[in-house]
Amino acid sequence: MLKTIACFKWVIDDADIRIDAGTRKLVLDRAGYKISAYDRNAIEEAVLLQEKHGGTVCAVTVAPSSAKACLKDALSRGPDNACYINDPSFADLAPAQTVSILAAGIKAGIEFDLIICGEGSGDLYTQQVGPALAETLGIPCITYVNKLTYSESDRRITAERKLEDGIEVVSAALPALVTILPDINTPRIPTLKQVLGAAKKPALNVTLDSLGPAGDPCLKTVGIQAAVMDRKKIRFAADAEGIRAAVGALLKEVAIA
Amino acid sequence: MAGIWVFAESREHTRELLGAGRELADRMGTTLGVFAQGASASKEYIACGADEVFVLPVLGEDEPLEACVPVLADAVSAGDPDVIFIGATARGKTIAARLASRLKTGLCSCCSGFVYDEGDKLLRMERMVYGGAGIQTVVCETRPQMATIAPRTFAPAPEQEGRSGKVSELPVVPESGVKVLDRLPRQRGAVDVTRAKAIVCVGRGVEKAEDITLARDLADVLGAEVACSRPIAEELQWLPEDVYLGISGKRVKPELYVGVGVSGQIQHVTGIRDSRVIFAINRDENAPIFEAADFGIVGDLYQVVPKLIDEFKAALKA
Ligand SMILES: Cc1cc2nc3c(=O)[nH]c(=O)nc-3n(C[C@H](O)[C@H](O)[C@H](O)COP(=O)(O)OP(=O)(O)OC[C@H]3O[C@@H](n4cnc5c(N)ncnc54)[C@H](O)[C@@H]3O)c2cc1C
Repeated sequence: MLKTIACFKWVIDDADIRIDAGTRKLVLDRAGYKISAYDRNAIEEAVLLQEKHGGTVCAVTVAPSSAKACLKDALSRGPDNACYINDPSFADLAPAQTVSILAAGIKAGIEFDLIICGEGSGDLYTQQVGPALAETLGIPCITYVNKLTYSESDRRITAERKLEDGIEVVSAALPALVTILPDINTPRIPTLKQVLGAAKKPALNVTLDSLGPAGDPCLKTVGIQAAVMDRKKIRFAADAEGIRAAVGALLKEVAIA
Repeated sequence: MAGIWVFAESREHTRELLGAGRELADRMGTTLGVFAQGASASKEYIACGADEVFVLPVLGEDEPLEACVPVLADAVSAGDPDVIFIGATARGKTIAARLASRLKTGLCSCCSGFVYDEGDKLLRMERMVYGGAGIQTVVCETRPQMATIAPRTFAPAPEQEGRSGKVSELPVVPESGVKVLDRLPRQRGAVDVTRAKAIVCVGRGVEKAEDITLARDLADVLGAEVACSRPIAEELQWLPEDVYLGISGKRVKPELYVGVGVSGQIQHVTGIRDSRVIFAINRDENAPIFEAADFGIVGDLYQVVPKLIDEFKAALKA
């Protein structure tokens, strides 16, 4: 029996982020939310392992209490159940806090052999939570994985890590934690039946009172400024005349070898 | 004790962190320490500004570099540095996150720059968020202040004559729970897109791998290199990984960037932000790339690019 936890984060959809060039502020209030892109790969990988080896998959998130919609989304992608560790104050957590809450939540009541996290989240992309969680739980950690196999006979995982200088093939005994790259799989698109079925799956609601305080943020955000870029934004038609005009305009701007 | 300590996988990257660290150490009136893999680099690092070199023991064949985390943590606990910079490679980022967690301190991931505040003695560190749409400024309120720093963020420290420093050896690394079974070195592509004057970048608008020749033909006319978006390299593997551009890929600053069937999601645009001129071809008039482009053509790349090639040829011949 392989008990897998897939961690996921409910993040602002970056396609909805607007920039107010005047104030250099990010306009986030009208943005929608989604499961962070690479966490969908984490959920998919857990489900693929389950299809092959049996066992269970639990999708775990640390989120503000306003993020309940994330449960149905996550569960429609295949996990058996979810764990929703939430509090109204969990909106802008520093990585160290997410890790301590996640570790406390997992220790309090989720059995696991394997934890799968995405390489980094689409919003802050600190790439810290996976390795720091493994360190906190005191289990082996394998990061940047793009191929993962589980051997039932010796209860070990073998993983290929994609690093700057090449592939490193490693193995570890369970329990262990891996962080995965997006090219490891293609997340399935939930069917209508799966979406409807998700509502019936169990979701454990864990609140701060049962876990204790969130811990020291360590890192304080002083401010966030929009990155602005000044571009001409001139468009040309796709017909012969337009293309000729575009070439003319480009050649005026840049010296081509 | 105090000090700025740095650690990176490669010598070149270590020297970049030494460059950043030396300047900061002088401003803070403290010393600069460096972790070295093997004693052979000690002299070079001292010449590059280090006052103290901590030599990591040689790891067993089957030990990943991350196995040194406990030894690094012990050294930090004993030496109590003010600041630690770690090279933001995949291994470095993993080591940094685990180390920060052990030390119960904050870590600024992929710090792109910092200023030192004389008043509170803290670094104001900058990093990108939301795929590069925002620049976040953070301070680390716990000790040591930690950051990971990507390659080529700072200029490497030059070697100076007549410097001296202390060299000490760190104890043996305990066996880790992760074993390396094999290492398959990456074949390096001949192309270094970060130095290209002009770039033709293909995105998923290209239907099949063979069609990249279209982009290549355009690149040839422009004297450009061919680069791509992340999915073209990672998911489809049509081009090598060292030519994909963006926040998690290469950051480039060519004179001219031509996007061919690239949607222009923020994570991609972040990598091309410093291009002098951005030109985009995309059939979707609402594609975000047009908001980031100087010039754009809304149209089917299969029709537009061949005509572009002809026009450029004609114009350049004239
Ligand atoms: C944490 C994180 C980090 C990321 N890092 C990076 C990164 O470093 N680099 C990166 O590139 N991406 C990165 N991404 C992915 C990024 O969000 C986008 O998914 C990706 O850049 C899209 O690639 P694309 O433009 O090739 O594909 P798509 O978004 O699929 O766009 C294809 C475009 O082609 C156009 N098109 C289709 N057919 C034609 C045609 N015949 N003629 C003309 N146009 C056509 C379409 O209109 C569309 O706009 C990251 C994502 C996350 C979550």
